Amino acid sequence: MSERSFYVRWGRYLLLVALAIPLYIWSWRTADINLVDLIQGAPKARPIISDLVRPSLLARERVTLSVSAVVRVPCDAPPPEPPPAEGPTLTLSATCLNARDSLVVSGSGFRPNTPGRLYWRVAGLEGRLRDEPFETDAQGRFTVETDIPPLLAQQGGDHTLEAELKWEAGALRPSETLRTTIDKMIETVFLALMATTFGGLVAIPLSFLGARNLMPTTPWGTTLYVAVRSFFNTARSIEPLILATIFAIWVGFGPFAGVLALSVHTIASLGKLYSEAAENIDPGPIEAIRSTGANEWQVIWYGVVPQIVPPYVSFTVYHWDINVRMSTIIGFVGGGGIGLELQRWINQLQWNSAATAVWAIVLVVSAMDYASAIVRERLV
Amino acid sequence: MLEVRKLTKVYDDGTVALKEVSFTVPDGEFLVIIGLSGSGKSTLLRCINRLIEPTSGQILWDGVDITAAGQEELRRIRRQIGMIFQQFNLVKRHTVLTNVLTGRLGYTSTWRSLLGLWSREDRARAMRNLELVGIADKAHNRADELSGGQQQRVGIARALMQEPKLLLADEPVASLDPATSHSVMKYIEWMNRERGLTVLCSLHFLSLARRYGTRIIALRAGELVFDGRPEEIDDRRFKEIYGDEAIEVEIR
Repeated sequence: MSERSFYVRWGRYLLLVALAIPLYIWSWRTADINLVDLIQGAPKARPIISDLVRPSLLARERVTLSVSAVVRVPCDAPPPEPPPAEGPTLTLSATCLNARDSLVVSGSGFRPNTPGRLYWRVAGLEGRLRDEPFETDAQGRFTVETDIPPLLAQQGGDHTLEAELKWEAGALRPSETLRTTIDKMIETVFLALMATTFGGLVAIPLSFLGARNLMPTTPWGTTLYVAVRSFFNTARSIEPLILATIFAIWVGFGPFAGVLALSVHTIASLGKLYSEAAENIDPGPIEAIRSTGANEWQVIWYGVVPQIVPPYVSFTVYHWDINVRMSTIIGFVGGGGIGLELQRWINQLQWNSAATAVWAIVLVVSAMDYASAIVRERLV
Repeated sequence: MLEVRKLTKVYDDGTVALKEVSFTVPDGEFLVIIGLSGSGKSTLLRCINRLIEPTSGQILWDGVDITAAGQEELRRIRRQIGMIFQQFNLVKRHTVLTNVLTGRLGYTSTWRSLLGLWSREDRARAMRNLELVGIADKAHNRADELSGGQQQRVGIARALMQEPKLLLADEPVASLDPATSHSVMKYIEWMNRERGLTVLCSLHFLSLARRYGTRIIALRAGELVFDGRPEEIDDRRFKEIYGDEAIEVEIR
């Protein structure tokens, strides 16, 4: 190596580094990278992370007990007769109330050491007002102080106060969350299967039009080839999330919207992979079959098909796997499957439930990944 | 008799592969075509069964103009012309037996062949041909499990299925080692001598050409530069064919 070329080479490296440094500084600033936040914020994420490692899988059956008492508002009419005291009972400091009076409610004969809630019923509605939490003591007693909500005070008449206790009893069973997750996961896998099938069926004929070696080199053939290839590239670059949003509006929320969104994406994605596989086939066997006097159908069946079946099947299985992964996300925008539930749980801050969904996705996706790897290996 | 008249092939990119090549092959000849890579040997062989469309010129076979044949007639002509290839061109994922049976496609209706309903006679013929080339025990193996020499023998069996009158062999031993080369060449020689096939075979090595050919033609840059008996190729002729730099190497 001459001295000159040594300097030229190192000069080039230095120039490259000199250009790269400001680029990285700029990128670092633009991306708002803040390592202090990363470390200081960690405690905030702890509850979520600790819930994520404790997914809701099993639960005991929940027992609900509610006991009610009637209060008359305002205190100008004779109070209602208290119900006969038997089993768990509520004792009120007063049986009639005026607005802003406080009321002490004590209960006895309840299940010991159990959390519960005390609330006012709104007649004819599901709603609860006040909704005060309490916990019974070792003797099954509790005391809660409350007052009459203004809404009920205005109406007057008899109002119902209810104490509700919930506890778990009986044998461990799959939790509600787990059952929903399994249900939705099955839906997700089937959704992905349908999308892969529809997408694949459309992609196969299109892929022949998008394979340079199978298209004639006439102006028409070239135009068609370019058009099909451009469609593949354009459609592939549209995120399935966006497609799912459109289809959710088009056909309504649910798995069908997801199937359509993933199908469109699959057509483009598999179409491109199929075309490339078709372009890579060995022309030798085709030539050999043609030389025996075979007609075009026989040439395709004996020369082309055996060569494209393995890559096509292997890409299809691989894409089913990709579609399962994608369909978990498109549920977020109404595409059905596990994504919808996952999003709901996240929004309701039910991290244990969200964890169940996350782990189910991890499990199914890795299982599919493994299975598709085996299938592809067998096919080569 | 095969008659090639002023055969010219110009590819779309302007490459002239064959320039007015004319020669005649009487029935029963073992004609070897020699020449450097790119001299037009493969193009010439493929023009004869029109895997490549000639640009101009005529190919007459027993008086029939192959170059003027329509699609149907062309397929009837092709099924009488067997062909074997340097890369064997087997369908790798099919069994040896299926590969051999594809030699009968020209004689089988479309629907029967698409369903794989080969006739009993064709199956028996396939097994006979596999026995002939000594690999009947591999009939149910996948084609790509076989060695190069074995694969070329499958290629020969496939060509035999056509019961051809003419055999085109495009560098049939160029991918094989010397010992295997001879065993494959002997099968081709046997087809020529015992079955009476006319053989057109392109070869790299002059030594193989001398050993098996009854006649040799040589191409250089698409032009016919020699047509004669093997022993007529002396040093001067050799340099005309292969260029001044070339040295003859032997393959025994």
